Amino acid sequence: MKEKDNRPVYLNILTINLPIIGISSFLHRVSGFVLFSTYLVLVWMLNRSLTSEEEFVQLLSDLRNNFSLKILIFLISITIFYHSLIGIKKLITDFFGVGEQLKSGSIISWIYNVMFVLISITTLIFIFC
Amino acid sequence: MSATIPLKELKPLILSVYRFDPNKDKKAYMQDIEIEVPDNKDLMVLDVLHLAKEKETSLSFRRSCAEGVCGSDGMNINGKNGLACTTPLSEAVKRNKLVLRPMPGLPVIRDLIVDMKQFFNQFEKVKPYLITKDDAPELERKQSPAEREKLDGLYECILCGCCSTACPSFWWNPDKFLGPAALLYSLRFIVDSRDQATEERLDDLDDAFSLYRCHGIMNCVSVCPKGLNPAEAISNIRKKLTNRNR
Repeated sequence: MKEKDNRPVYLNILTINLPIIGISSFLHRVSGFVLFSTYLVLVWMLNRSLTSEEEFVQLLSDLRNNFSLKILIFLISITIFYHSLIGIKKLITDFFGVGEQLKSGSIISWIYNVMFVLISITTLIFIFC
Repeated sequence: MSATIPLKELKPLILSVYRFDPNKDKKAYMQDIEIEVPDNKDLMVLDVLHLAKEKETSLSFRRSCAEGVCGSDGMNINGKNGLACTTPLSEAVKRNKLVLRPMPGLPVIRDLIVDMKQFFNQFEKVKPYLITKDDAPELERKQSPAEREKLDGLYECILCGCCSTACPSFWWNPDKFLGPAALLYSLRFIVDSRDQATEERLDDLDDAFSLYRCHGIMNCVSVCPKGLNPAEAISNIRKKLTNRNR
């Protein structure tokens, strides 16, 4: 039987520096997990909207007036945006080789993260104002 | 070293270092050691370790050439992997504190010394040597300057392990994902005009884990003490596999 290795392993990601590309990649994973976990909410809403005309109108009303639902929709929306934006960035890197150097990759990551913040602010205004 | 420097030119520095002695410690811990470093000279992190060892004689770390060639003293310096011998204090110290930990993801043998077995196991898998099928020529296997140029940026790797131990994909799958260093070496032999096992090398990488676990995080590029770009090498292997499978 293989002996258990009791030696410590240093692996505290809170104390290990990651470049912006790494942080974006990590958040891309997290956003993917959140989307997977919350897709049932979207399916539930789709189901409600298709049940009947009254239910559709009621759902629209809930979306406009229920503050908790608004927050949920806002969070799901920005998660979709983040996952899509960083996903597109990865596809562009894979297909066209753009951002394969640390400097260019970092600049592109910053651009995408700033785009995400701007889109999030627009979404916030759209949902809550 | 400290004896030759006038006392008035010394300044205090807190060295926070990861400690683990398998003979007496059940858990690793951080120890603060106060040392004095010259105010008018930029020491390397390795020099600081030597100064700390004068106070804490049991402090253990690897070192050999002390000039960034052997790759023995790779460690995590204030959160970023690097070689202690080529990292100046001016770059590493933050708020008068230097934090040294072992390279992440590998079992710690003692203090800053990690067991590199997993790293070298992965390195071995890429067959890091020329494979030839023809009979050996009388003198040597020749290469044109243009063919030789293709190896630039690949052959300089010193196998310090800084890149692979900074790679999250290697942390999660150290036995399946080959890691940036091994893959850099793999490309070094794939593009070598004298090597005659290109197809076999690509076959070995064509699975879900060996190569494709790289997600382009680029921490390998960020930490490489030789300024190499393993992420680009991995991308080049990917392109070769894609073109081959078309």
